[in-house]
Amino acid sequence: MAESATPSSKPDADHQPHPSHSAVPYLVVWLALLGLTALTYITGSMHLGAWALPVALTIATAKSALVAVIFMHLNESSGATRLVFATALVFVALLIFFTVADVATRFKLATPAGAPFGTERSQPEGLLENQVPDE
Amino acid sequence: MSHEADALGLPRGILAHHFSSLERQNEAMRLGMWLFLATEILLFAGLFTGYAVYRFQFPLAFQEASRHLNITLGTLNTVVLITSSFSVALSIFYARTDRPRAAALCLVVTLLFALAFLGVKAVEYAEHFHEHALPGKYYAYEAVKVPGAAMFYTLYFLMTGLHGVHVVAGMSVLSWLLWRTLQGRYSSRYYTGLEMGGLYWHLVDLVWIFLYPLLYLI
Amino acid sequence: MRLSETTDSLAGAPPLETLNYLTDGTTVMSWVNTRDHKRVGVMFLAAVLVAFFLGGLFALTLRMKLLQPGPFLMDALSYNRLFTLHGVVMIFLFLIPAIPGAFGNFMVPLMIGARDVAFPRLNLASFYLYLLGAAIAIWGMVHGGADTGWTFYTPYSSTTPTQVLPILLGVFVLGFSSILTGLNFIVTVHTLRAPGLNWMRMPLFVWGIYGTSIIQVLATPVLGITVLIVAVERFAGFGMFDPARGGDPVLYQHMFWFYSHPAVYIMVLPAMGVISETVCTFSRKNPFGYRAIALSSLGIAFVGFFTWGHHLFVAGQSTFDAGAFGLLSMLVGIFTAIKVFNWVGTMYRGAIKFTTPFAYICGFLYFIVFGGMTGIALATTSLDIHWHDTYFVVAHFHFIMVGASVMAFLAALHYWFPKMFGKTYSEGWGLVAAALIILGFNATFVPQFLLGNYGMPRRYYQYPDHFQALNVASTAGSTLLGFGFLIILIYLVIALRWGARCTQNPWGSKGFEWLSASPPPTHNFDEIPTITQMPHDYRTHEPPGVIRVS
Repeated sequence: MAESATPSSKPDADHQPHPSHSAVPYLVVWLALLGLTALTYITGSMHLGAWALPVALTIATAKSALVAVIFMHLNESSGATRLVFATALVFVALLIFFTVADVATRFKLATPAGAPFGTERSQPEGLLENQVPDE
Repeated sequence: MSHEADALGLPRGILAHHFSSLERQNEAMRLGMWLFLATEILLFAGLFTGYAVYRFQFPLAFQEASRHLNITLGTLNTVVLITSSFSVALSIFYARTDRPRAAALCLVVTLLFALAFLGVKAVEYAEHFHEHALPGKYYAYEAVKVPGAAMFYTLYFLMTGLHGVHVVAGMSVLSWLLWRTLQGRYSSRYYTGLEMGGLYWHLVDLVWIFLYPLLYLI
Repeated sequence: MRLSETTDSLAGAPPLETLNYLTDGTTVMSWVNTRDHKRVGVMFLAAVLVAFFLGGLFALTLRMKLLQPGPFLMDALSYNRLFTLHGVVMIFLFLIPAIPGAFGNFMVPLMIGARDVAFPRLNLASFYLYLLGAAIAIWGMVHGGADTGWTFYTPYSSTTPTQVLPILLGVFVLGFSSILTGLNFIVTVHTLRAPGLNWMRMPLFVWGIYGTSIIQVLATPVLGITVLIVAVERFAGFGMFDPARGGDPVLYQHMFWFYSHPAVYIMVLPAMGVISETVCTFSRKNPFGYRAIALSSLGIAFVGFFTWGHHLFVAGQSTFDAGAFGLLSMLVGIFTAIKVFNWVGTMYRGAIKFTTPFAYICGFLYFIVFGGMTGIALATTSLDIHWHDTYFVVAHFHFIMVGASVMAFLAALHYWFPKMFGKTYSEGWGLVAAALIILGFNATFVPQFLLGNYGMPRRYYQYPDHFQALNVASTAGSTLLGFGFLIILIYLVIALRWGARCTQNPWGSKGFEWLSASPPPTHNFDEIPTITQMPHDYRTHEPPGVIRVS
């Protein structure tokens, strides 16, 4: 990570400027963000197949971590503030996990005889694999 | 009470009567702002969930449709927004180190970048309207006829639309902060208001950091 | 027995001439523009009581229709609109803001020794957003109403010709109000506790509100985006939840219940907090298992998020999710049982004073146990398939939401009435009303358990003739319930106007909120107290806090 201003969990008592506060970390983070954007652009155009999504998300996570920690001063924030951010992320993950898990583990219905559609993914518009066929 | 505020030479009314110290109050503001940001994150989480579900169901359609977005403009907008985030961070830094003019200048730069972002987005939207690459029942895009592509554009418009609303809201907040900065409200002794506005703007950036690869780089 | 006779004050009654928050400024503007958490609390109390009255009226009308199996009193569409209104009003306008908005606002700063909540202006804004949301929703009701039920399930909610849109927007605004309330409480608890009041000395009501606030902040935005998408669906046809366009209605249910199941704990956790406070006062005993009660509030807030899928067992959810959610749902039972055990433990060998609030505590314990246990049964996938969408579910959640939450609301109303208004009410009528309500409540909903088990579906306008006897019983019970509430309304209004002035601490409670005068002055404390002991410590004779003289 970029050389950050000295992390301290306590807000400075007298609101004097942070002792080792300089604009350099912001500049470094900005350059790193630009670099990571270039990287994700390049990997995005490489057609990595199954790896494309994990790679793109990893880079996006790294970028957002830089923004959150340095730009948003999480490195200087109190524990409660960090906990709020972390909790929000946990619950986002929870919502996405169980919802996608549902879609991913629904049993595939057999194609009824004479049906105009298949049961593969990406089938004709308006027909989903979980749609119960007419008996 | 307000003797501490007086002792620090702060404008009256900054320290509310029920806080024992300015430090406490700043901590409360910061925590409150982060809680608000948490609600914003969960607001977007609903759309990200929808995206995850439909991308899982229509992987090929999402790929096809995504390729017809303008990657150059998307990347340009990413750079624009990242840079605006940088300039907001700088503006807080300058306020913290008692350079209000530099702080105000940085806010002006941020606002210009935000306008640029909206401009680019408008160009993209115009293109979509022209091609009828529109959500749901309006979808009539000739280039991508795979089932599920309409759903991609539904999510694309919902996500970038909600994000755009946040950009506009952030711009109003930043304009107000610019006004206050020009009035000399923020200094090394007190810059919490500016810091809060900055946090909001960074969140707008954070959301875009995820939208960019998910929408443009499938 | 009048309250004023049960004097056991820790501190002498304050001189009557002192200005309290009610007399400090009596113009309308002084209320409309107030920053005082106590006035915001009182305004919330008035507003939620109006909502409760409306919702109750809708419920009674519905029950009147159900006296007859066939068409009666109203047509089917009106019936559908009416149960939607009943649900929306009771949940979004009454249950969710009731205890946090009214009593939380009033009591939390007093309990933690603060002069106000962290963001007083935001607090007032939260009240006005509540009014705005209510106004939008009521406008929608007057102009046709919705017939979707309070759950707004798609694709019906995006296609029905009734006025769903304004009600959705109303719910969105109300959600905003709820978020602001919760956010305020979290920050208040973190930054404004009095000296000496560490986390493990915090009153249990504050723990309950804190847990509630976490849910409000984390869950409500998801409801917000969900109703927004449905709104967009209605006027622009984006097709996000529309099967005809590749959308998945079950996704709607996931997102909706991600909020709406934890929302049950928004209604119940503050209720549990009220019970934790009152049970100590009226047993004159220290809380049994303080730590367990406090932490199980957080436990419920957390685990409550892992259970939403039990509403989707028959909606086409996958077996994996159904199994996982079924199991996880039962965890809530563990935390609730911990609390129930500790409340009963607190009563055990206590010096119980059987007052009106205590009657409601007993009612609460009974309702939460039976409501909770039927909940465990419903979380069992195989059983749910039989009971899903029947009156069994209706009876179950009314046991929790009306049984438990409203009992606690009434306990809080009676317990804190002297604190808030400095007046005493008629204890005799209080007990009569409590008996009527608990009795009437059982008479209303026990038949519904039976009806559901026999297979009567919920939300149906007509039903087979052989269900009529139980339906008549249920309606009779609801009438009793209505009478009970009417009696409360009458004697509280009388008490408010003509009630005798009470002492500063009529219950002899050692809860921290009684450290201030009753009713408290606008600034709550002349000097911020330093807390030296646990709340409700009845082993010593000292007051629970020391006013530091320096």
